[in-house]
Amino acid sequence: MKILIADDHPFTLQGTKSFIESCGYIVNDACSNGISALNLILLHQPDIAVLDINMPGLDGLDVAQKVQKDKIKTKIILLTMHNELAIFKKATEYGIYGFILKEHAQSELQQCLLEVKNGNRYVSASLHANLVDTSCSNFKNLPELTVTERKILEQIALQKTSKQIAMLLFLSEKTVEGHRSKIIDKLSLPKEKNALLKWAIQNYKS
Amino acid sequence: MNKIFLRLICIGVAFLIFNCGNKNDNSVVFVKEVPIKEDATKIYLHKAANYKNNKKYLSVFYKYYNQLLAAKKYTEAAEVLEIACIYLADSYDFNSTFMAAVKNFDLLYRKKAPMLKTTFIDAYLANYYFDKSDLKSAAAYFTKVTLNEPNDYNSCYNIGRAYYDLSYIHYITGKQNLSLIANQKAFEYFTKINNPKGLAFVYSNYANIYTAIGDKKRAVKNADLAIKMYKIIDNTYNVYIGLINKIAIYDYMNDNQKIVLIDSTFNAFINSKQEEKILKLKIYEYKIENLVRTNNLIEAKKLIDELQPVVQQINSDDLTNEYKIVIAQYEIKKNANYSDFADIKKALPTLIINQQYEKVNMFYGVLQFSALQNNDYKTAYTIEKQKRIITDSIADISTREKIVELDAIYETQKKQQQIALQKTAILNKNTTIALLASLFLGLLLLVIVLITRQKQKKLKLEKQSAQLYTKQLLEKTEEERKRIASDLHDSVSHELLSLKNLFQEKTEITNNKIDAIINDIRIISRNLHPIMFDKIGLKESIIQMVDRTQLVNNFMVSADIEYQTVMLSTTELQIYRIIQEALSNIIKYANAHAAKITILEEKKTLFIEVKDNGTGFNVAEMLTGNKAFGLHNIIERSRAIGGESKIISDENGTTISIEIPL
Repeated sequence: MKILIADDHPFTLQGTKSFIESCGYIVNDACSNGISALNLILLHQPDIAVLDINMPGLDGLDVAQKVQKDKIKTKIILLTMHNELAIFKKATEYGIYGFILKEHAQSELQQCLLEVKNGNRYVSASLHANLVDTSCSNFKNLPELTVTERKILEQIALQKTSKQIAMLLFLSEKTVEGHRSKIIDKLSLPKEKNALLKWAIQNYKS
Repeated sequence: MNKIFLRLICIGVAFLIFNCGNKNDNSVVFVKEVPIKEDATKIYLHKAANYKNNKKYLSVFYKYYNQLLAAKKYTEAAEVLEIACIYLADSYDFNSTFMAAVKNFDLLYRKKAPMLKTTFIDAYLANYYFDKSDLKSAAAYFTKVTLNEPNDYNSCYNIGRAYYDLSYIHYITGKQNLSLIANQKAFEYFTKINNPKGLAFVYSNYANIYTAIGDKKRAVKNADLAIKMYKIIDNTYNVYIGLINKIAIYDYMNDNQKIVLIDSTFNAFINSKQEEKILKLKIYEYKIENLVRTNNLIEAKKLIDELQPVVQQINSDDLTNEYKIVIAQYEIKKNANYSDFADIKKALPTLIINQQYEKVNMFYGVLQFSALQNNDYKTAYTIEKQKRIITDSIADISTREKIVELDAIYETQKKQQQIALQKTAILNKNTTIALLASLFLGLLLLVIVLITRQKQKKLKLEKQSAQLYTKQLLEKTEEERKRIASDLHDSVSHELLSLKNLFQEKTEITNNKIDAIINDIRIISRNLHPIMFDKIGLKESIIQMVDRTQLVNNFMVSADIEYQTVMLSTTELQIYRIIQEALSNIIKYANAHAAKITILEEKKTLFIEVKDNGTGFNVAEMLTGNKAFGLHNIIERSRAIGGESKIISDENGTTISIEIPL
């Protein structure tokens, strides 16, 4: 299996190379900018390319976009410092296979390479953790609910109608209704009348 | 620019002043035309000296005149004939050859020349009849001339002259009222062409008329005016005529100033070596009268003899009679028994028939003088009675009253005309002033408008440059923040990463610490500058911001973004910052349940709105206070990208809306 790695920080590049080789793979190409990386991918068509995002010339996303556009079989893993959901979304558009944060590379890269080698996708667990709210709430810890859902739940506890909630939160009534059924699903509440209202009042902490 | 205004004003003022000047001189209607170039013969005929001194004058005239007639140049022929007519009439030369030529022209060619160019024929005939003492015919011919309307300088002069002559005839026939009217007409015509000679004639006539009605003061005044006019045109001949007239006035009024005036005039005439026959005759006659009165008969006889050939040369019935009277006066003085008055007595009835009352008076004077010398008081008394009748005929009482009345009417009319003229002048002046004033006002307004416009332009430029400066400042700041953010993110984080890998003994604690530091740096750099904004785009970056705000602040924010256009990255960043600022304000101060971000794209405008349902605030008060940095930040950033921001707030919440032209 041919692997290409690219990073503009020589220490990081060296570290990544050593780590991948210590996992039993062979690194065919190692380069320090996006243009070289793209040229080498086109030339050698490696199975996997581990790319940093921030690089001079072309960045990792640009390279991923080109690879997707040119329909090259090389699978892209982005190894980055950016813990940003927006960047991840963009990368997903370009059909990448792996997204790992550099600080967790030691614990995740081996697993990631294995998954990608088998044709699966791998996303760093800490990126998901970024999306989960840990801030305070009027309810017990409800990690599965989004902010919007929790806000609606609060208003339900205050015995507001869907219409009133919609007005208050700048949403449409239909959207509020949609959120209500999602909350019921997420909380696994029984499908009976006013089940959500009862639950909300019972669990509401003022 | 100011110089141009000054010039404009100067030109305007000059123009108006020039116009004013023009309007003041409106009494003159016709101006003397510069004569077109004449041929040599015509120039010769035009010279008075040639007529007086050259005996060939008339033969030259006939030759030339007949040539013109043969060439059918009737108008030119009329012009030449007019020149000759004037010279001949002025010297009382009415020889039959010339008269035949005039009558021939009148009969055959007159209708072929313009009417106004042939009035001289009537004038010449009038003068002829005048000399023959047929005053009725003379008056008729002069009247014929006056019936025309003038159309140029010359015709105006001719008509004025005819009125003057008519006035004189009326005067000597004692019709002073008619004389005055004709003279007033003459005055008007001569004023129209501003002719001093004509005016002098008119003044002489006035002098005569006032003499006749016994208004000595006015008579002398007008006689002096006439002399003044003659002096203006430097016509010595006529100056003497004026003096003679003045003498006649004193004579008629029995004023002794006459004697002094006669002597001084006589001496001046002798010294001036004038050879004018008629002047010589008139002045000598008066001098002889003086000499006879003072009994200086030898000197008188000398002058009488000297006059003899002159009278013969002139060969005028009228003047010959005058001469005879002088002789008679001399003879009576020399010999009281002189009674050879046959000529005088013979001439008297004709004179009376012809209403030549002035002459009649002179004749009676001689007869009375003779009677007195002979101590024949009865005859003297009879003659005195006759004289009274004649004097009354010259100016009877009713006529005098009539004249005074006419005079008054004329004066009133003249004054009214003057008032009307003055009124027009004042009106013109007022119009001019109004025009000037409005011109100045207009210019002033123009200047003000231009200055205001320039000021506005300057302000606009200043505003633009200020805006540009703000924009550049904002962009520079962003650049700086971006650089710091990426430095922190790329260098410091990587260094920490290396550090983390360097530890030989990896403990959970150090690992977690370093991860925490890396996370902190991430947050700092994210706050400094949205991560990879150029790549992510405005819409996704805002959604990211919204998501993060919800999580971090546990605050409900929804976003409705409709944005496809790609604007400059710097502009998009400003929009991002505006929304970030607005959102941060809401979280800090609004106490709202939720906020909503809307971006709406239309054909030519991008609408951005951030609204909340918080407690609201007084916008005007807030903006003037010193806690409104965030709001000013929004306003300034909107301006920097060419947009316009609007902030509306009440107790139901706040809405910040921005419109940016695309």
